[in-house]
Amino acid sequence: MKYGVYIELFGEFYEGTVFIYGTTLLLIYAFLAIMSLVAVRKFKVLDSRVDYTLLLNSIHTPGISVIAPAYNETITILENVHSLLNLNYPKYEVIIVNDGSTDDSLEKMIAEFDLIEVDFAYNERLKTKPVKRIFRSTNLAYSKLVVVDKINGKSKADASNAGINVSSFDYFLCTDVDSILDRDAIMKLIKPIMEETDKRLIAIGATLRMANSCVVDQGFMQKVVMPKQLLPRFQEIEYIRSFVMGKMGWSTINSVPNVSGGLGLFDREIVINSGGYDPNSFGEDMELVIRMMVYCVNYNIDYSIRYIPLTLCWTEGPSTLRVYGRQRSRWARGLAQLMYAHRKVIFNPRYGKLGLIVMPYNFVFELLAPIVEALGIIYYIIIIILDAVNWPYAILLLVFVYSYAVMISTLSILWDQLTYHTYKTWREILLLCFTAMFEMIIYHPLIVFFSLKGYFNFLANRKHSWGNMQRQGFGQAAQTRAITASN
Amino acid sequence: MLSFIVADSLFGPFFRKYFYYYDSYPVVIQIAVFLTAVAISATIIAYLSIIFRRGKGYLTDVRTRKINTFIDNLITDNIIFNEEILAGVPPQDVKLDLEPFQKQVFSQGWVKQALVDRLIYFANSFSGDRNLLFKRLFVELELEKLSFNKLKSFNNSTKILGLVELTSMSVAVADVLILPLTNSRNRKLRSEARIAYIKLSKNDPFKFFDDATEPLLLWDQLELFKIITTTEGLTIPNFARWITYSTNKSIVSFCLKLVVHYNQHAAIPSIVKLLDNKDHYLRVEAIKCLGKLKADDIEEKLIAIYNNQPLNCQIEILKAIGRFSTGKQIQFLRGEFIRTSDFDIKKNAARSLINHGRAAKDIVQNLIDTATADGAIILKHCMNPLIKY
Repeated sequence: MKYGVYIELFGEFYEGTVFIYGTTLLLIYAFLAIMSLVAVRKFKVLDSRVDYTLLLNSIHTPGISVIAPAYNETITILENVHSLLNLNYPKYEVIIVNDGSTDDSLEKMIAEFDLIEVDFAYNERLKTKPVKRIFRSTNLAYSKLVVVDKINGKSKADASNAGINVSSFDYFLCTDVDSILDRDAIMKLIKPIMEETDKRLIAIGATLRMANSCVVDQGFMQKVVMPKQLLPRFQEIEYIRSFVMGKMGWSTINSVPNVSGGLGLFDREIVINSGGYDPNSFGEDMELVIRMMVYCVNYNIDYSIRYIPLTLCWTEGPSTLRVYGRQRSRWARGLAQLMYAHRKVIFNPRYGKLGLIVMPYNFVFELLAPIVEALGIIYYIIIIILDAVNWPYAILLLVFVYSYAVMISTLSILWDQLTYHTYKTWREILLLCFTAMFEMIIYHPLIVFFSLKGYFNFLANRKHSWGNMQRQGFGQAAQTRAITASN
Repeated sequence: MLSFIVADSLFGPFFRKYFYYYDSYPVVIQIAVFLTAVAISATIIAYLSIIFRRGKGYLTDVRTRKINTFIDNLITDNIIFNEEILAGVPPQDVKLDLEPFQKQVFSQGWVKQALVDRLIYFANSFSGDRNLLFKRLFVELELEKLSFNKLKSFNNSTKILGLVELTSMSVAVADVLILPLTNSRNRKLRSEARIAYIKLSKNDPFKFFDDATEPLLLWDQLELFKIITTTEGLTIPNFARWITYSTNKSIVSFCLKLVVHYNQHAAIPSIVKLLDNKDHYLRVEAIKCLGKLKADDIEEKLIAIYNNQPLNCQIEILKAIGRFSTGKQIQFLRGEFIRTSDFDIKKNAARSLINHGRAAKDIVQNLIDTATADGAIILKHCMNPLIKY
């Protein structure tokens, strides 16, 4: 009898805690939705009158280094390097880091771009695997190109660090060689840095979208098309929600937790002083941003990290469950690793917003969320077995969570529509809204499952194989190409 | 708590009517039901907004395209292919036919605005006589009144629009109207007002430099630099005035760029004074400016202060010596190259040595032969024409 009372008390406590947890999370989402709406609208008004051509014709335009690590990209390397060399910006260099590719991508580049090995003064400010050779082009048309050939470091982080060591300018743009950049990406990203008033803008990102099903020609986006496959389409909604609503919302209160590895412009000096990308991290992009923030706080640098609601980069999302699972497990493992490594920052008022907002939010509502959800499911199963479910209430709560999740996704799609009509047809918009209705039922359980798997791998310290992720090329579905596990 | 009371008073009757047992639900379930209703309503509103916005956008596009075609035809007939202009009549003497632009259709506000936008577009696209005709048409149709009304608006975005229109059409505006806006707290308004002031002020276009309290951001500097260097008939002052007296660091920094552009050697004494400024970023700007002006008279002074400077200033001094290339400091550069273990100092010393050309050729070769492997690679790096930075 006494035992039953304890169980009942525990049940009530658990239900109350989870309800408070869930409601707090939903209120945070509501807050982000409102803040991102304000930010998106403000951005649209101001951006509509900006003359970006100023940058093209000015001698005072800041230089930018574009860094793109590549590993076994032979099928598309030439096309992608050509596209990086044709961005709309007057003063930039493209640094391709060949991370010990075992295919013929380096030979292809040497032949295509008239590359020769040069005596390059390599300053290893960030420790990396040895750099073997550095190439420059003898063809004036490719004078922006630098190719670094190094020993494989088994991570994108190591290759990026080598690129940072070679870079010449104060800001560098980090991307993946297989990502599709908007021609104006650099111009759009550098402007907020040039407009920052009293803070030092140490990193800035923009929206990433799914490139699956899009029409790509010569490495440039020709037509944006909604992913035809279900899994990439779910990821598309997830990206819209994460970038347009989440990161834009956090950006308004200077609490952006992460600038994506797919596209981010960084302050080189701060990155180097912070130690660069961590090759041992499974979430190297977020880990770097957190470390940069910690560095700024430690050295009293009044920093800011921003996002702009423009889609400037398209990346191919995993279209098979196997590849998707590996990607998400790796991300989850990276998050767990990050939280453990920076545990002293969590709830530490000395770190200001980082210690009281960024880290606690990511710890409580990102790291713990899959665990809370999994425990909730187990709890549900137990009380169903014990026949202790109040079905009307249970259904009302499920409807509540479901309707709220659909609302947040739909609002994200609306906010996205408020900025620029990425999708031109009604059919695509309807399909996107319709997909959002099934996201929680079909897609969300996958995220929970693979996140838990990542946490398990972290706790068990299991070895992670940096094997290749098989992806479909753009417009070349028959061929598959191997890319480094950068996502 | 108050919000719950307000919510209950607003939505309570609804729930009691349609959810018969609502009052008997636990608080947790009541909140869940309430938030579910909010979520469903918000989702429906979001769907309707998407439909409405896309529909409205489509209709606006169709309408704008139609009226723009109409306006473009009028402009083509009356301005671009104006017979008098084609016959060589000076634009100020051309008799403009205003009647087609005063038709009933132009009484509507949005059509009038479309006309303003198209005139600005064409004025920006044409230079010479036709550009003047577009500006005359703008004034003779009294469209500038619309722009001046916008300047009086409380809305900053509307004010900005008014400023952009007046600036684009070179309509004179009293200083008293623009000057206060050049220090506005609103960044975009401030920026546009500064541009407008330089373009439109008849008296002293750079007067706002005296009173600028808000910073001149890098983006604003880019815009102003373009306006200052491309506006015809602008009297360029000696920027030393602000380099010496302005307390606004961004104004000083901007003036240094202008001094370089206009090659104002008269400003050198003022710039030299900046070498004693406590702000090392400003000192870097000053040294860079002196280097670009090739003010080699101060080379000795730069050498004298070199050891007391932070790294960024030292690098800039090395670059300046390379720009001067007087040949007097070759031994200093050589010494720095050998002495330092700092990569950036070594690289910049090497680059400046190489900039000396023949005068330092033997020394450079000697350094290549005797330096460490890393040092030799730095020299070869700087000598390689394929490597720019």
